[in-house]
Amino acid sequence: MLTAIAAHFVLAAVLPLIARRWGRGAFVVGAVAPALTLVLAVSHADDALAARHPTETLAWAPGIGLEFTARFDELALLMILLVSGIGALVLCYYACYAKPGDRAVGRDSALLVLFAGSMLGLVLADDVISLYIFWELTTVCSFLLVGGDGLTKKLRKSATQALLVTSLGGLSMLLGLILLASASGTTRISEILADPPGGGVVPIAVVLILLGAFTKSAQVPFHPWLPGAMVAPTPVSAYLHAAAMVKAGVYLVARFAPAFSDLPAWWVPIVVLGLWTMVLGGFRALRQHDLKTLLAYGTISQLGFLMVLVGAGTWITALADVTLVLAHGLFKSALFLTVGIIDKRTGTRDIRELSGLGSRWPVLTAFATLAVLSMAGVPPLLGFVGKEAAIEGLLTGDPKDLALLAGVMLGSVFTVAYSLRFLVGAFGTRPTVAPTKAPPSGVAMTTMVGIPAVASLVLAFAPWIVEPVLAGYADTYPLPAPDYHLALWHGLTLPLLISAVIIAAGYAMYRASLAPKLAGWIPERMSAQNGYRAAVMGLDRGALSITGRLQAGSLPTYLGIILVTMVVLPGAGLLAGGPLSPTELRAWDSWMQLPLAVLVLAAAGTVVLARRRLTAVLLTGVVGYGIGALFIVDGGADLALAQFLVESLTLVVFVFVIRRFPPRFVDARPYFRRARWVKAGIAAVAGTFVAVLAVLYSGSRDGLPEASRFYIENAESATGASNVVNAIIVDFRAFDTIGEIAVLAVAATGAASLILARARQRPPSLAALDETDGTDETDGERTEVKR
Amino acid sequence: MTVLVALPVLLPLFAAALSLIAGRSPRVQRLLGVGVLTAIAAIAVVLLLETDRNGPVVLQFGGYAAPFGITLVADRLSALLLLVSALVTLAVLIFSIGQRITDYGRQTASTAFHPMYLMLCAGVSLAYLTGDLFNLFVAFEIMLASSYVLITRRTTAARVRASMTYVIVSLTSSLLFITMIALVYAATGTVNLAALPAKIAELDAGVQSSLALFMVVVFGIKAALVPMHFWLPDSYPTAPAPITAVFAGLLTKVGVYALIRTQTLVFIHDASWTVLLVIAMLTMIIGVLGAIAQNDLNRMLSFLLVSHIGYMLFGLALFTVLGLAGVILYVVHHITVQAALFLTSGIITRHTGTVSLQAMSGVAKAYPLVAVLFALPALSLAGIPPFSGFVAKIALLQAGAAVGTPVAYAVTAAAVVTSLLTLFAVTKIWVGAFWGKVAEPHADPDPTDEVTVGTGSTSKGMLVATGGLVAVSVLIAVFAGPLAAMSERAAADLLDGGAYQTAVLGADGGGR
Amino acid sequence: MTVNITMVIVLAGLYTVGFYLLMQRSLMRVILGIVILGHGANLFLQVAGGPPGEPAFVGSAVIQAMVDPLPQALALTAIVITFALTTFLLALAYRSWALLGHDEVQDDVEDRRIREAAERDEDSDDSDTEPSEAVAGFEAPEASEEVPR
Repeated sequence: MLTAIAAHFVLAAVLPLIARRWGRGAFVVGAVAPALTLVLAVSHADDALAARHPTETLAWAPGIGLEFTARFDELALLMILLVSGIGALVLCYYACYAKPGDRAVGRDSALLVLFAGSMLGLVLADDVISLYIFWELTTVCSFLLVGGDGLTKKLRKSATQALLVTSLGGLSMLLGLILLASASGTTRISEILADPPGGGVVPIAVVLILLGAFTKSAQVPFHPWLPGAMVAPTPVSAYLHAAAMVKAGVYLVARFAPAFSDLPAWWVPIVVLGLWTMVLGGFRALRQHDLKTLLAYGTISQLGFLMVLVGAGTWITALADVTLVLAHGLFKSALFLTVGIIDKRTGTRDIRELSGLGSRWPVLTAFATLAVLSMAGVPPLLGFVGKEAAIEGLLTGDPKDLALLAGVMLGSVFTVAYSLRFLVGAFGTRPTVAPTKAPPSGVAMTTMVGIPAVASLVLAFAPWIVEPVLAGYADTYPLPAPDYHLALWHGLTLPLLISAVIIAAGYAMYRASLAPKLAGWIPERMSAQNGYRAAVMGLDRGALSITGRLQAGSLPTYLGIILVTMVVLPGAGLLAGGPLSPTELRAWDSWMQLPLAVLVLAAAGTVVLARRRLTAVLLTGVVGYGIGALFIVDGGADLALAQFLVESLTLVVFVFVIRRFPPRFVDARPYFRRARWVKAGIAAVAGTFVAVLAVLYSGSRDGLPEASRFYIENAESATGASNVVNAIIVDFRAFDTIGEIAVLAVAATGAASLILARARQRPPSLAALDETDGTDETDGERTEVKR
Repeated sequence: MTVLVALPVLLPLFAAALSLIAGRSPRVQRLLGVGVLTAIAAIAVVLLLETDRNGPVVLQFGGYAAPFGITLVADRLSALLLLVSALVTLAVLIFSIGQRITDYGRQTASTAFHPMYLMLCAGVSLAYLTGDLFNLFVAFEIMLASSYVLITRRTTAARVRASMTYVIVSLTSSLLFITMIALVYAATGTVNLAALPAKIAELDAGVQSSLALFMVVVFGIKAALVPMHFWLPDSYPTAPAPITAVFAGLLTKVGVYALIRTQTLVFIHDASWTVLLVIAMLTMIIGVLGAIAQNDLNRMLSFLLVSHIGYMLFGLALFTVLGLAGVILYVVHHITVQAALFLTSGIITRHTGTVSLQAMSGVAKAYPLVAVLFALPALSLAGIPPFSGFVAKIALLQAGAAVGTPVAYAVTAAAVVTSLLTLFAVTKIWVGAFWGKVAEPHADPDPTDEVTVGTGSTSKGMLVATGGLVAVSVLIAVFAGPLAAMSERAAADLLDGGAYQTAVLGADGGGR
Repeated sequence: MTVNITMVIVLAGLYTVGFYLLMQRSLMRVILGIVILGHGANLFLQVAGGPPGEPAFVGSAVIQAMVDPLPQALALTAIVITFALTTFLLALAYRSWALLGHDEVQDDVEDRRIREAAERDEDSDDSDTEPSEAVAGFEAPEASEEVPR
């Protein structure tokens, strides 16, 4: 199984090269991978059906729960029939559909095969992380396939919307899956399902997972991305947006339903949104003129229907659900491929411009009619078989199920009506419109339409071919299996009557053209597309507003915020920590400290007030010398010496630089003057805070630390120096000194280039000349040689 | 073996000196730089294998046993980061050499660039390897001083303001660093990292947590945690592309490394860590919102950088093995990917002549290779599977879910939201710059400024260097298994702390 | 360890003045602030070593009477490093003055642009005009809109 997935990816990697050589033949080559997968899956169907469920694992990073696990069971088998079967079909179809010499063939074929592989991985995945990985891969493929080369704004918008909406769901699903896995202690889906966790975060996890399913399967209110994605080439729409990718949401729900179908957090959102989606999609479909968009809304409606059936959570509805998943995949791909032929041959897919195609392409019309009838749930087609089962399953007498039945009936009436609208619109003859001129529909492409259409017919008469697979899935519910079998004819039963009523009502609705008259029935403000626009715009505006407010661009503000943080964070830690051991306080150690302290403080205070640069610099010098004197008092002779030396050097450099500056500080503008007191406040609080910490921390220890004692004891014997501070610097901690020298060298280099750069700077005209000849760098980088 | 620990510091230091002397011979400078960085990468591999097999490698510098001399320690975490940093600095150097050759020709000497770059590498290596708090300060200063010189090289009127912001904020953080060392010394009487835990454990709870948070502030400025991040997007994007790449990729991560090292080694986990979770959440969200608001490609990437620092703090603040393993994976991934993105951005702006996303168009069609070089790290940054960012993100999310407190859940959710918004921002770049019609390059907006945006061709060296980094990020994903296992062992070491202390201080637990 | 109030007050004063100057607009004042903060930090290192004592010369006094030599050594290194970086910053100020003709620390241009955009956006909140780059088209409108498929 894993090999099959990998084979898709490898093939996708080489397809661009094949396309360069064989042009659109690359699609046929690409079809080999899904076709072989289909054959393999069918030939090994026994493994899945006999409940052996073979499992393969490939460890990736098992320590953090990353591994690929594939498990082949009934649901996976059913999905492979769709994913690989339709995939191979669509790829072959695309080979005829693409224009010869189209440069996009390499990219599109590779992406489609990559997508087929990801879909295969998605339906086989048995651990939550691989499930997400393949899920997100399909999203990325969809983005690139819809966007194409992104030449028009419409393409870009649609692709982006599809990406963002499905990623929103994908990520929330990931979070849900992780919560679920962490609640159940395993990442294996089969193990989670076998022993579902309960309580605590599980309802939240379940809702998050559902969000993923709803976005992917275009449920209200996330659905608008799907009609938007119809800008993609029609084969892509047929595969991604009808047969495979949008089914991923339904698949996800179906996968987890056996474990959670009793949980209200699970079924309530599913049936409410599902019904809403089913009705809204059908209603919208009735108002479309573009055949493809009509089908897209039809897909939305059908996906809602499928959701409702899983949400209903009985054995028969589960059976009906998977039957309809299969039926929908078959008829919807056939219909999309039909639209592709119409679009390619006539250049339009607008109902109002098409006329007389039915008589021109009788074979295609016959196939499309089969598919449409299956969609409408008319016997003798697979769609009817599924719908019968669905109605049967909802006829339990439970009020909840009855309510669901009513909703499903309404949705089905819409379905019948838009099915007719599609069929007549595409193939009917309009007296007011001149018959559409069109070349023959093409044998190869028509055959591709015929395969799924005829399959809908054959399977309706012989449901036993697939029933073991479908019933096998329904059996995974912890419910007793009733004696129910898929069949065209159950006798004269209530479901049959309901079906008849639906078809009749649908026909009436189509004849009455009710839906267009209801235009404006849904207020524009409530439309989901507006919701998406508002969300994106809100995000942009919110980001702009927050960033505009926070990112002031002003260095003093930034430093102020840093200082406040420096007080608030450790301050909070201090307060939260409880009582502290007391520190002994003394007024001073030596009376000399007192006048020096006053001198230093007075000088420092005056720096703030100084108007002239030189005064400020000299006062800073006084502070430095004062500190040096304090070092002497403290017993740090070497330190004091260094301090005096460095202070003198600093003064020299300062004086050298401020010679160039105007003698007085430029006075602050009034706007900034107001901030002065805020700054003073912050500075005072932060400064005092540091001093307070100094007091509090010093109470913690006593006496000379062991390292210092070691230095004093060993300085002479180890280094031969009697000056311990020197011994530390040049010997015990020599590595610091090496670093210090490195910093000095770097700073000197930098300062030299900055100062000397000016001497070499030339007028812009000459600098521009320098750029063109490029033999000499225009700044002073070479100058450090003089150092 | 132990001498190997000193080489990643000493080699670039001496090479920097030689490079300065050889200022008139560009060939020698180039060979020195590439040779030394390759050597560091090789040494890092040996150290990594050795530490993983036999525990930390310790060098007592000058032969004085800890805590008296300065100790250099390579454990799994520092060896791993050393390796990744060496690879990234090497790639950036090759990119830079390629760019200089394209712009100025083979013979143009560049006296300052190579020595300063090697100094920077020496500082970074020392920061990873030192086992002494004050020496860590010295390492920071070597690194920062070289970065000041690199960011102010060829500065123009438009850029001098930005470099000033950078230098002043960094100096402030350095002065707070000294203050912190004084506080530590006042409370404990030692600056040896391995000797600190025992002394810290004797302190009052309030002193412990305030000291821990003071360190968060000091290193948080460097790592650009919200609300101490504002300087970063204002200054990094104005440097030349390779410089921005190495600053964004490495310098912030050195801050993160210092956070991880000090917080895990020195402090016990208590309730004040909730504060860190909140900071992590704010960093993620405010950073990514900032990115969405930008129109300048480099500024957007800088805000994304800030945002993703939040992920690293998130894992650290969880303080579990899985969380820390996630942080280590995230750091390794992010160093590579962020550097690759900035390099690619450098190539893009050379082709388009603008950093404005609104003004760019059609890069994918004109330069498909550049599109691939951007798309892979960008998807990785957004955490799209199966790239490296996804691996790291999964580890963090699982760690968050496993902790299971309300705050942890909230931050986990914030991490997911950030992931989505990152994808939004990255899509914005993709849609704006890569799709659409091929546009004519814009005229250079400021001809006197030859570094920020300059139109010109790209050489093979630049593409190879960027491609190499992208390949490294892909390899991180491919070898996620062994890497994650190694990260878990490193994380377990960090939480335990015993191995580090024993290796430095000896089995009896301290001195003689 | 006992703490000397005089020195603590000096520390508080130096840090306050340093922090205040740091937040000024004039680059020269900012540099002076950094110098004074540096003095404060170095003095703090010395204070952290404990009460004053005899200078640490081997044999000049009993060990107990000596001052702790390690903080002095650290402070020495820190003083030199601070000096080196101050010099560099002064050179940067010099360069900035040469390029800009003033030494004021100005606001970031791009940040201001975004702030103004945000303010404009809020002013125009009532009107329904959408920002051109919004709604995930992400770019300015362009001429050709037909789908070439």
